[in-house]
Amino acid sequence: MTKKPFKTVGVVLASSLLTLSLAACGSNNNNAAPSGSPAASGSASPNKGEKVTLTFQNIYPDETSPSAKAMHQLVAQYESEHPNVKIELDTLNTDQQKLKLKTQAASKEIPDITMVNPAAQMKPFVDAKLFAPLNDVLDKNGLKDTYQGGLLDNYSFDGNVYALPDGNNIEVVFYNKELFAQAGIDKIPTTFDEFLADVKALKAKGITPLAIGEKDTWTGSFLFMNILLRTNGGPGFLKDVVAGTKTFNDPAFTTAVAKFEELVKAGAFPDGATSIDANAGSNIFKTGKAAMFILGTWETGAIDSSSVAGKVGAFQFPTVDGKGDLNDFMLAPGTGFALSANSKHLDVAKDFLNFYTLNLPKVQFDLKNAVGQPQKVDGDLKAAGYSDLAIEVMDLFSKVKGGDLSFDNTMNPAVSQVHLNALQNLFVQSVDPAAVAKEHQTAFEANK
Amino acid sequence: MRCSFVFGLILSVYKEATVLKVLKVPAHTIAVFILPALLIYICIVFIPIGVSFYTGTLDWNGIGESKFIGFDNFHRLLFNDPFFWPSVKRTLLYAVASMVEIPICLLMAVLLNRYVRKANTLVSIYFTPVILSVVIIGQLWKTIYNPESMGGMLNGILVSLGLDSWTHNWLTEPKIAMYSIYLVSLWQYFGYHLLIQFTGVQNIPSEIYEAAKIDGADGFKADRYITFPMIVPIFKISIVLAFIGSLQQFDLVMVMTGGGPAHATDVISTHMYNSSFMSQQYGYGSAIASFLVVLCLAFTLVINYVMNKVERKYT
Repeated sequence: MTKKPFKTVGVVLASSLLTLSLAACGSNNNNAAPSGSPAASGSASPNKGEKVTLTFQNIYPDETSPSAKAMHQLVAQYESEHPNVKIELDTLNTDQQKLKLKTQAASKEIPDITMVNPAAQMKPFVDAKLFAPLNDVLDKNGLKDTYQGGLLDNYSFDGNVYALPDGNNIEVVFYNKELFAQAGIDKIPTTFDEFLADVKALKAKGITPLAIGEKDTWTGSFLFMNILLRTNGGPGFLKDVVAGTKTFNDPAFTTAVAKFEELVKAGAFPDGATSIDANAGSNIFKTGKAAMFILGTWETGAIDSSSVAGKVGAFQFPTVDGKGDLNDFMLAPGTGFALSANSKHLDVAKDFLNFYTLNLPKVQFDLKNAVGQPQKVDGDLKAAGYSDLAIEVMDLFSKVKGGDLSFDNTMNPAVSQVHLNALQNLFVQSVDPAAVAKEHQTAFEANK
Repeated sequence: MRCSFVFGLILSVYKEATVLKVLKVPAHTIAVFILPALLIYICIVFIPIGVSFYTGTLDWNGIGESKFIGFDNFHRLLFNDPFFWPSVKRTLLYAVASMVEIPICLLMAVLLNRYVRKANTLVSIYFTPVILSVVIIGQLWKTIYNPESMGGMLNGILVSLGLDSWTHNWLTEPKIAMYSIYLVSLWQYFGYHLLIQFTGVQNIPSEIYEAAKIDGADGFKADRYITFPMIVPIFKISIVLAFIGSLQQFDLVMVMTGGGPAHATDVISTHMYNSSFMSQQYGYGSAIASFLVVLCLAFTLVINYVMNKVERKYT
């Protein structure tokens, strides 16, 4: 090989590679909307015949769950009524969806329709002006009046509603009547001392008293907040902390931590709780291996379709040291549907959301999923074949006087993480409640 | 991490360049040839690293407005984060453990090569855990480590041997949880390094051993003077791979404990993940990422330096 052709070939080769590599670098910019609506049209106002594609990011991966069935049914119905609209589902499980949405938000490319958690968790998105206000959606067809009173406040900022909830749940104690009978417990506990005595009685019989999946740290926190709701004598402790009128060093908080540690010491939770994830945790209860399970009423349907169906009842979290009101509950307003403010077809998305939320209650009722709906549900539960547990839970709903939102819906994420880890720590070693309080307070002040 | 590969690339490019100089290839030709690869690397490696350094100087939740705060994140990371240095310690301890594993693999490879007739099959079997997904491995070992009440195999065996006092909640006792995870990872990658070492041992020409035998060097004497010196380059590959792999350790920890209970099994990468995505302190998470890059770079240099010395001594 002589030198010259080698050189020419080299230059050609190098320059073609160069173009290739530059193209590879640049392609990101040309293709910047992987999740948005793929090239339907450039115009913002779609007329009737125009092809419109919307992306609907959702958290209903379990095809057998009523929520997923309702979604598929409603999407199909909307598509058949509007042949020009195609709705692409981007279905993920909750944690993946949270992560994906955050990543998409970082590049301001969120899907046309997506889902977010209420209050503190959706605030960053609203502050970044990523969501469209939904006031006009609510005014259309009287949608606003279908929602339970006050619920939409959790999704409102500065007088605008930014998301419409898919559920509204409260936290109750589910219990296995059969296992209670085995341990000789004949009445449900209404005070924490009775509760603790029952825990010990169950433990003595070799029954795991309380199921939990504390690898997912929110589960322990959600339980703990019940105690705090009682020791504080009512709702609003975290709000007071945020407002600066209370600190975490308040006796309400330290007592709650101490009470929680009493539960741990009494052996209330399964061995190795911190390595059990939330699903596995709830399965401990649903397979009849644990006597109680403290979680949101969204579990009702799943319990009814598990092997302990028919043996389960529900009661209110007991009062602690005579403090608190049984009718205060931990409230869990559901994940909300939100629309991207930058959506190319915002008006179509709004129309779809209006249709979807208007029809959801009826569809959910038919799918035996009326418990924990955000909207008023019409119909006789008993006649429709709902279980005793479902009716019992609906009855508890009617007693709700007030309550608190979960810790991570009230505090900012940084403080929440400190809290979640501190609580997880209580499962594996005993810590002075004052030290726990101090850790919280320090984190709160550092992340105001 | 990738940066160390890039670093190696630059070094080798430099070496190649001196060789080409001897061949009298003009400098601009060299430049043109290097350019495409270099551009790709700049795009996919250096720019992201630069961006994450920059993000590390921001107070940013990953969604909304960001604020430039200089080196506050780095200051907090190095001096005010009670969970950071323990996570670095765990990461480095893990790196040491996985490097200590390699001599054992080498010894095993030598023994297999000498005493086992169809060693290939055996090596393939040892290799199986490597091809399994980490999530599967993690779930599998989680059930093995489970408490006895939940049917954990390890505790079950201990109890049936009458060693009740040895049973533990392997993944939830803060003092031992991390070691339980180390063990799983070492188990998984044993076959990987064994395969590399075994191939290295097999590639040493048998003539050398025959010649040595005539000179009276046999068995472990031959290993001492032939196998070990000749395997050094392969050994180095394993060491570097083990080290880099352990600094990146993330998935197994995430599957088995998620960094818990209460940070007891946090390594650098899980701490970074939790800070960025769970606490939504994206800037702070980026500062941790930057630290990880620097750490990788520093240790790659050290390992290269040490291994080059060893290599020079034996070859």
